[in-house]
Amino acid sequence: TEWNVSVWGKRRAFTEHIHKLAELVEEKTGGEFTMNISYGGLSKNTENLDGISIGAFEMAQFCAGYHPDKNRAITVLELPFLGVSNLDEEVAVSHAVYAHPAVAEEMAQWNAKMLMTSPMPQYNIVGTGEPRDEVAEFDGMRVRATGGLGKAFTAVGGVPTSVTSSEAYQAMESGVVDTVAFAQHAHLSFGTINQADWWTANLNPGTVNCPVVVNIDAYEALSDAEREALDSSVDEAIAYYLENYGKLLKQWDEVLEEKGVEKVMISDEELAKFRDVGGAPIRDAWIEEMSAQGIPAQELYDLVNTTLDEARATN
Amino acid sequence: MAGTASVLEDGSLLSRLDRTLLKLEWSMAFVSGLGAFALMLLAVWSVGGRNLFNEPLRGYVDWIQAAMPVIAIFGISYVQRQGGHIRMDILVGALGGRALWLAEFLTTLLVLVLMVLLVWGTWAHFDRSFDIAKPNWSRDSSIDIGLPIWPAKLVVPVAFSVISLRLLLQLWGFGRAFVLGLDRPVAVPLVQSAAEQAAAEADHMQGHDT
Amino acid sequence: MELTSIEIGLWVTGGMLVLVVLGMRVAFAAAMAGLVGLIWIFWSKKGYDPEDFGWALGVAVKTAGQVPHGKVASQALSLIPTFILIGYLAYYAGLTRALFEAAKRWIAWVPGGLAVSTVFATAGFAAVSGASVATAAVFARIAIPEMLKIGYDKRFAAGVVAAGGTLASLIPPSAILVIYAIIVEQDVGKLLLAGFIPGVFSAIVYGLLIVGMALVIKGFGPPVGGFTWRQRFASLPPALPIVAVVVIIIFFVYNPFGGDAWGTPTEGGAIGAFIVFLMAIWRGMRLPELMDALVETAKLSIMIFTIIWGVLIYVRFLGFADLPSAFADWISSLHYPPLLILVCILLAYAVLGMFMDAIGMLLLTLPVVYPAVMALNGGEAVTAADSAFGMNGTMCAIWFGILVVKMAEFCLITPPIGLNCFVVAGVRPELSVQDVFRGVTPFFVADAVTIALLVAFPWIVLWLPSLA
Ligand code: NA
Ligand code: NA
Repeated sequence: TEWNVSVWGKRRAFTEHIHKLAELVEEKTGGEFTMNISYGGLSKNTENLDGISIGAFEMAQFCAGYHPDKNRAITVLELPFLGVSNLDEEVAVSHAVYAHPAVAEEMAQWNAKMLMTSPMPQYNIVGTGEPRDEVAEFDGMRVRATGGLGKAFTAVGGVPTSVTSSEAYQAMESGVVDTVAFAQHAHLSFGTINQADWWTANLNPGTVNCPVVVNIDAYEALSDAEREALDSSVDEAIAYYLENYGKLLKQWDEVLEEKGVEKVMISDEELAKFRDVGGAPIRDAWIEEMSAQGIPAQELYDLVNTTLDEARATN
Repeated sequence: MAGTASVLEDGSLLSRLDRTLLKLEWSMAFVSGLGAFALMLLAVWSVGGRNLFNEPLRGYVDWIQAAMPVIAIFGISYVQRQGGHIRMDILVGALGGRALWLAEFLTTLLVLVLMVLLVWGTWAHFDRSFDIAKPNWSRDSSIDIGLPIWPAKLVVPVAFSVISLRLLLQLWGFGRAFVLGLDRPVAVPLVQSAAEQAAAEADHMQGHDT
Repeated sequence: MELTSIEIGLWVTGGMLVLVVLGMRVAFAAAMAGLVGLIWIFWSKKGYDPEDFGWALGVAVKTAGQVPHGKVASQALSLIPTFILIGYLAYYAGLTRALFEAAKRWIAWVPGGLAVSTVFATAGFAAVSGASVATAAVFARIAIPEMLKIGYDKRFAAGVVAAGGTLASLIPPSAILVIYAIIVEQDVGKLLLAGFIPGVFSAIVYGLLIVGMALVIKGFGPPVGGFTWRQRFASLPPALPIVAVVVIIIFFVYNPFGGDAWGTPTEGGAIGAFIVFLMAIWRGMRLPELMDALVETAKLSIMIFTIIWGVLIYVRFLGFADLPSAFADWISSLHYPPLLILVCILLAYAVLGMFMDAIGMLLLTLPVVYPAVMALNGGEAVTAADSAFGMNGTMCAIWFGILVVKMAEFCLITPPIGLNCFVVAGVRPELSVQDVFRGVTPFFVADAVTIALLVAFPWIVLWLPSLA
């Protein structure tokens, strides 16, 4: 069996688990089951779910915030200030939510089945000029932030402006946006760190959720051995991803120093202000809106919290 | 190309249908042009708001992405009517009479098959983003302000349906020219421009005078 | 028979060329080839089982059906209609005529004067227009009748306009340079700056060529003299608004006083268009004229976008056939001098450009060719000292960008598919496409010289961006 896998951009920390998965699966099946990973050749990044639904390729990665209406249920994972504090917790909550029947049902409408997540750390912002370390300074700030993050910044007067990730550098340079919210690897691979004067070390407003899915028909057409090889490789692929991302995070402080980027710490008082406006009200609005559409929103939100508690208890 | 409509007209049913469809096609092209104009105004609003009032236009990128299919695709049939999509006419330009009409008929038939298939494909693309049971009927939304995307996606199969009608008329025109062995059929774009035809005719007349 | 996906790719590509030669509209030939290729690839996955043909057809059609909306709904490509609109509005604002008039009074006294004036007027107009085809279209309306009046060969007059139009894509602003920058993820501002000197340089080469022809050929268009200095200076104020628009666009790309630029080139183009629009209203543009400008903008934009999505359906097929990576592997396995390979790539562009328009060609090739060229030079992070072409990765990206765009512009005037020539012939009913191609032939030589010089002396391209 050969699977086509649709991802986008360049090979980076964000896609390493997919390469690892392909490697493991090929190894375990003695070369019977291979994956051909294509960066942008098979689909546009916002249309990967469409491609899965059509059956054009068998596996793909996408991000919930690119098109919330396609994947309403998992947008719970992009709510601001969920309280996820590291990548292990991010994996735990993502996989718990992916296993919820409401998510499975929504994905089945795209003929898709959740396989694994692509855990990312908190999306802190880089900016130019004077550091913005008070909530009042977010008023009128043009920020590249999608999904729930965008909503959080909107709540404090910011204006989300979504240039594509590859245009983020240019957008910063030309003043189309003042700040860009990315995970560290993206600040590196899209060059926004080169343009930045400062980076918020502890704003931690939330993150973006980007699952990897497989086409249900293709999954079911696998031989038992192949399916077993795929399922059993997920944890190992994620472990590899976490290790690799961990290395990147360790180097991060050196990168900041080398590029002369100021590490901005925001006071607890200011953080609390941001959380008051950008946290609970957005969560409540989300629960109300999603419940009205028949999605078990409260249940999903509670699932995130119980999973977080469990994850912390076992560590 | 731009500006020359080398499509002949007369009182036949085919030509009347051609002109009826042309009215629709022109309107659609005009809407495309209005879209380009709106894009300009949108940028002025966005830049002005940002630099003068510190109040940038929310969802600027989303609105651009919604407008682009209207600008770039909606009027496609008008361009086909005017023979405006470019092609290499060295070979067909050398043909004449029935051979020419046969070649035109065959390539037009292929394009019709293509466009009908693409109506299906682009409709499916629209259909995946549309769900009557959901708020705003939306199952696909834009990144910043959550605009439903289905209206912009619907533009494409609509435009492609109109060009399919146009291609049917052109098939009729070329087929008629082939069967009847016509020199100057109506309702189809001619390789030679109308002005060239007129000039050729004028030369011809002079030849008779002297 | 079991074909590899690369063989399928070659068969489908051959089929596309046959359709083009048979006279099928280029956009539709590319889309057709892409669709057939997709069906073929998907069906081959099922071992060509007749029962699975319906499945393969459905998947291929739906995959192709994503492309027109998906690829066209792009902020980057929104530059194209904006830059075309600016061209038509400038025509109705009288700016093109004012520029032409000024160029005529100041430089038409040289041999081949009116043609030289046309070249420099198009170069001046290029500073507000970002699209070659729009520039060619508006100057065809103004410059060709004047040249015909004083006895120029109609084919040559058309050739001058078609060639002059290509300057708009090098002299900033330029839609195609921005598209290049976005495809290869390089700094748009630096690329636009880099286009300026090569653009002016091309204009000068064109001018010298015309003067040379005028000196050699008998009965060539005569010089036009007799303008007083008073008349010359009087011609300047009407053309001045161009300067205002140029200054604004510059500030949107690059702030010369340090500090942030005012916005993106996309926005700069739109603001420029708006100023020209206000000027056109002030100069008495009426509603029917505005409507005409809008429909003309739509026609040209749609023509270009149809090629774009058609070619991109074909590119989607190439992605599924995995041809790009096969090509990159092949290029990097070659053991020839890097400069020779680069020249071969440029020649390949000349051939490909015969069948394709500029933007379609860039979209088709850059994902494959750009990484190969960067690898030839020694990689993205290479220093000038360690590189094959004597420049670091960023500079190599800029240099190659200007070379490719110049090649793409060259293809706008080469038969059989030379968009500028189609446009000029379209605007002037007395000219056939063949006439324009014949008239533009001398400019091939000028362009070949320009490209050779840009390859031999990269500093012509790199000096300005290295200052920024
Ligand atoms: Na220009
Ligand atoms: Na060409």
